[in-house]
Amino acid sequence: MAAVTIDSLLQNPTLLFRPKAKVMLKPPRSLDCSRNRKLPLSRGSCFCSFNPRRTIHVVRASSSETALIGNFDTSSSDDIFYKDIFPVKRIEKVEGKFFIRLDRSKDQHDWQLTVGCSLPGKWILHWGVSYLGDSGSEWDQPPKGMRPPGSIPIKDYAIETPLKKLSEGDIFHEVKIDFNPSSEIAAIHFVLKDEETGAWYQHRGMDFKVPLVDYLEDDGNTVGAKRGFGVLSGALQQFSNVLLKSEASHADSQNNSIESKDSKNKNRCLEGFYEEQSIVKEVSVGNLVSVAVRKSPETGKVIVCLETDIPGDVVVHWGVCRDDAKIWEIPAAPYPPETTVFKNKALRTLLQPKATGNRSGALFTLDEEHFGFLFVLKLDDNTWLKFKENDFYVPLLGTSSVPGQYGQSDITTEEISSKSYTDGIINEIRNLVSGLSSEKSQKTKTKEVQESILQEIEQLAAEAYSIFRSSITTVPEEVVSETETTKPAVKISSGTGTGFEILCQGFNWESHKSGRWYMELKEKASEISSLGFTVIWLPPPTESVSPEGYMPKDLYNLNSRYGTIAELKELVKSLHEVGMKVLGDVVLNHRCAHFKNQNGVWNIFGGRLNWDDRAVVADDPHFQGRGNKSSGDNFHAAPNIDHSQEFVRKDLKEWLGWLREEIGYDGWRLDFVRGFWGGYVKDYLEASEPYFAVGEYWDSLSYTYGEMDHNQDSHRQRIVDWINATNGTAGAFDVTTKGILHSALERCEYWRLSDKKGKPPGVVGWWPSRAVTFIENHDTGSTQGHWRFPGGKEMQGYAYILTHPGTPAVFYDHIFSHHRSEIANLISVRNRNGIHCRSLVKIVKAERDVYAAIIDEKVAMKIGPGYYEPPSGSQRWSLALEGRDYKVWETS
Amino acid sequence: MEVSVIRSCSQATNPKTELGFSDSRFSFGKFNEKLFSRKPNSVSFESPLRRGKSGLRITAQAAQSDRLPKSKSSTKSKTLNRIRLFAGLPLDVVSGGTVNQFRAISAGLKALKLLGLEGVELPIWWGVVEHESMGKYNWSGYLTIAEMVRKAGLKLNVTLCFHASSQPKIPLPEWVLDIGKTKSNIFFKDRAGKPYRGCLSLAVDELAVLNGKTPMEVYQDFCESFKSAFSAFIGSTITGITMGLGPDGELRYPSHRGFAKSGTVPGAGEFQCYDKNMLHLLKQHAEACGKPKWGLGGPHNAPAYSELPTANTFFKDHGGSWESPYGDFFLSWYSSQLIAHGDRLLSLASSVFSDSAVNIFGKVPLMHSWHGTRSHPSELTAGFYNTATRKGYKEVAEMFARNSCKIILPGMDQSDKYQLKESLSSPELLLAEIGTACNKHGVRISGQNSTVGAPDGLKQIKKNMLSENLNDSFIFQRIGAQFFAPEHFPLFIEFVRKLNQPEPHSGNLPTKEGTTTATDSVHTRSNLSIHMQSA
Repeated sequence: MAAVTIDSLLQNPTLLFRPKAKVMLKPPRSLDCSRNRKLPLSRGSCFCSFNPRRTIHVVRASSSETALIGNFDTSSSDDIFYKDIFPVKRIEKVEGKFFIRLDRSKDQHDWQLTVGCSLPGKWILHWGVSYLGDSGSEWDQPPKGMRPPGSIPIKDYAIETPLKKLSEGDIFHEVKIDFNPSSEIAAIHFVLKDEETGAWYQHRGMDFKVPLVDYLEDDGNTVGAKRGFGVLSGALQQFSNVLLKSEASHADSQNNSIESKDSKNKNRCLEGFYEEQSIVKEVSVGNLVSVAVRKSPETGKVIVCLETDIPGDVVVHWGVCRDDAKIWEIPAAPYPPETTVFKNKALRTLLQPKATGNRSGALFTLDEEHFGFLFVLKLDDNTWLKFKENDFYVPLLGTSSVPGQYGQSDITTEEISSKSYTDGIINEIRNLVSGLSSEKSQKTKTKEVQESILQEIEQLAAEAYSIFRSSITTVPEEVVSETETTKPAVKISSGTGTGFEILCQGFNWESHKSGRWYMELKEKASEISSLGFTVIWLPPPTESVSPEGYMPKDLYNLNSRYGTIAELKELVKSLHEVGMKVLGDVVLNHRCAHFKNQNGVWNIFGGRLNWDDRAVVADDPHFQGRGNKSSGDNFHAAPNIDHSQEFVRKDLKEWLGWLREEIGYDGWRLDFVRGFWGGYVKDYLEASEPYFAVGEYWDSLSYTYGEMDHNQDSHRQRIVDWINATNGTAGAFDVTTKGILHSALERCEYWRLSDKKGKPPGVVGWWPSRAVTFIENHDTGSTQGHWRFPGGKEMQGYAYILTHPGTPAVFYDHIFSHHRSEIANLISVRNRNGIHCRSLVKIVKAERDVYAAIIDEKVAMKIGPGYYEPPSGSQRWSLALEGRDYKVWETS
Repeated sequence: MEVSVIRSCSQATNPKTELGFSDSRFSFGKFNEKLFSRKPNSVSFESPLRRGKSGLRITAQAAQSDRLPKSKSSTKSKTLNRIRLFAGLPLDVVSGGTVNQFRAISAGLKALKLLGLEGVELPIWWGVVEHESMGKYNWSGYLTIAEMVRKAGLKLNVTLCFHASSQPKIPLPEWVLDIGKTKSNIFFKDRAGKPYRGCLSLAVDELAVLNGKTPMEVYQDFCESFKSAFSAFIGSTITGITMGLGPDGELRYPSHRGFAKSGTVPGAGEFQCYDKNMLHLLKQHAEACGKPKWGLGGPHNAPAYSELPTANTFFKDHGGSWESPYGDFFLSWYSSQLIAHGDRLLSLASSVFSDSAVNIFGKVPLMHSWHGTRSHPSELTAGFYNTATRKGYKEVAEMFARNSCKIILPGMDQSDKYQLKESLSSPELLLAEIGTACNKHGVRISGQNSTVGAPDGLKQIKKNMLSENLNDSFIFQRIGAQFFAPEHFPLFIEFVRKLNQPEPHSGNLPTKEGTTTATDSVHTRSNLSIHMQSA
């Protein structure tokens, strides 16, 4: 049934952002369904493996660790003498459909090729054409008229067109290509690419080919030979039923049928077809297996408690061993329920679902004398989860006799893995860079290695930090105050400002239209300030190809659709007068060129920063940059700036300094920071010393079957990674929190607002002081509405972010709307109670229809239709605010 | 990665260097160090020869110094390359025999290794190891750490803490405190008779007050037990042992109790000669000097702990009692007692570890407040008879030299400009004074930062480690949440790089023919990378 199989390897273009990528200095792998590969039928093959880079992921794992362990029989947690969490990776397959349709368009004259895909993802059709009489096998660019809107030319041979959903309700993302059959085009070639995972979906190692004309003169052999393939690349046939039929048959025979079909290809005239195939995307999913061992004080038996959050039926295949040789044996009964003996070698126990959460687990009661507990997990007939190709091993000795045992045995497992890993790194660390300034003479590769080592160090430090920090919170405050270390009072840092900031986004997508936005805003300055805002974010000030300002051209020309440079200065001055700090929206990722190069490509800049194509990243083929490869994602609409170039950095630092000096900006809102390494941001911020800075690191959350996952740790981790790369010099918009609020509010799933550790599930739960929480901005809302906050629930959103830690940002459209007084009231509650970006939040309820939390023990809040009243204990709570589905109390 | 790429110029200047980094570094080092010494005050290099009875090896500089000769053209900052950097593990890394925050420590060790640190410092507490009863030692948690450190490829400098810690709270062994309940005179006492329970009084060093044993014997047993428990590590992973000498491990009297509030001017401190045994010694000494009346107690006109030195007449700048014959009598005795105590402990350590390839360290405090006065009250009360008219650190340095020990100086991060003006404090001058004394006696210095921290501390550390002192290594105190925090750790990375990197770009160092292929592109690789290789 699986005609097209997909291995979605996490190829990662943002090499420097994610630790995972560091080992992958290899080029992206594009996997395919080549004939040689055994085509997996159902969940045939097993791609499960223990994550070999375990050490790195402990940061993440550890954040959920306590939650898992905490669920073990807490009554006797004192007796636990061993516990460990094994992060495991398994490949979950998401099945969907993929279709190709060729038919006549409505006017019966032109034809239309439609490609669609029902799996979630950022699908891109990477395509080209071949012309009649083409001798070579290369693709060509299709004629302009054939390119659907949104297409981007890739070099001179291909087009990339995103697949889109025609309407919200659609299952399929699709793309339609219209063409005239009478043209010279012989065939359309394409492959499908998932931008999210970087995987390429090809047909048996080749592109899909839709022949549009008679094949006779261009027979299979010739084409195949020319392309260096054994078989003709045109795999898709016009007859839809071929593959549909073969879906039922065995994969091999299916392949054969296609091949035979290839050779039999004799069609002379274009016929419409519709072809649908199953498509399987393999998404790697991280789960945890936690094991705790304790000794029962009553019976003297050892109890192994195993729990996992892997969904579905999980069978533990287990045994015990007597010594280090780890030879499996079956222990004496009793066994847990649902246990069977497997070939006298092992026992199999089906994990029982836990009452709470979506976990399952089992308790194994064993005699004391066993040396270790061995197990592997079996997910289905063919899928096993192992520990780095080995059995999971849990030491059982060490209960009382040898206190150090746990630590030591733990090292041996952990250290071995890390040792070999460290060794690998050490081989490369010799080139550890000694500073950005000296990098320029280095080869790019060395630089990458160096940066990755630095990142490695930072990752490890972050891990150590998170663990140390979490254990520090248990130290009572008064002890700290006695110590020698006296905390400096209010320290202003660019990541947080004073920590008590409240941000106002001072524009929307339409603000450029009046041509005098600066002046309009100036009139509102005192009004905005009086609402309690301390920081205002102004629109991008530079000359721009697009009126909104996000396609900057001459960075030193600050006359824009929002007003002139003089007006801007006046505005900033007025804002300062009313006590607000001003953020400039700086677009550092890309810049529009002034001139074409000799090939007619726009990549030569003018104005004061008259860079040439060395300032443009090399890996965006549209712009033929001669710089290094991008250190982040590419923004396709304009040349992406190569920040690894020293002259670029120097110029940008100077520019930021100029903006600070000349205009009086106090800080920055950094546009599209996914596009380049956070380390450069650090460089810029250190040079421009802003009062406050926040970056827009916006990527999509994780969804499974179109439903948002509860756990968005990987999403927020990416944001935290970025903040970390900037050394915490910048905060970042908490996109995670916005996304989770969407689901929670829209679907009445307020339980989503607590993560596994009972903390806020967004960035604000992990690094509150660097999280800039928001519910809407000029992109997500306004007239663009790319990702609009659930209508009518905005105040619940604000009730959340304005009472919680993090630095909240309020969108202009909401301030100047009927929400205004409610927002003002929330801000005054926040200020009255001194809630700041590091305030402590205690989640007291996160249920289906209500979420409630107490912040700094001073403010209580709830959102959702469900019932909540703060406890009537020692504190006296009085209702401060009330609105639709939200309430806020403060202590009186 | 090809070898050719990694070879930095400085390394390439001496093909022996690579050997120097192997285990044989000690033997190579000494040879080269003597031969090629280029320090202006090269007297100092005689120190390795001046071995005490212990036969300790004092020459850890091998690997670095042996490439000095060829790099004469390089600048003075080259000397930075010699500084071996350590980071202190959390004080409470082990409690009750188990390792706390195991994962954090293990991640931290990896990070430090990748960063190119030489090793870590591990405080081992008397109150943890010999917690329950005398002679019953539990090393397990610390052994685990040593193994972790070994596997991480780092070195270990162990501090034997015969004192207590207030934060985190790590008291003296329970059985010692029990004895102290009835015999409070095993502790130092101040004028008001209040005992200090952070360590034993030096006056009982050789009195059998601990279940029939003297504290010295107990310390010795502890060291012997440590030695046998860690025999597999000593000389390989463990390259240094710091002997605890008093309050906070430092050679001093607990003259300041409690912590000064930051932003307030510290007082002069109090003399600690009021426990029965100290008074007895004082009396004996006074009688021997023919001044029995001077032996009845400490100075009557000294101010109390938090009082300013000027609050009474003892420390007065002009005409204060400190300058009187009585003052000289008392201060000489008071400081000599301290030095004798240090001598006892360091020679004990030297003899116990005489057959092990480890360096022995002792820590001397930086009592820098009131250094601007003539009498240096803080130093005097702490036991250092160092005034405007008397160089007091000479005897201290001599004592260290006698035992072939290195000196740990904390407070390397303190700079004068951040001191409260009113306290007339000068950490920089004091450090220079001690440094001079050490240089004179060939005592090598291992720097430490103060636990309180200081603005621009890292910068100051770098400056100090750059000085002409016989800087040996630096121990950064200490890892923990604050250390790895995003506010701090990047600065530390920067610091490590700078400390190990020749400041003026020494790009045109001579290279030896045939040994380099790609050096020009990697000449800025510093020790940072070289350390990696030795892993």
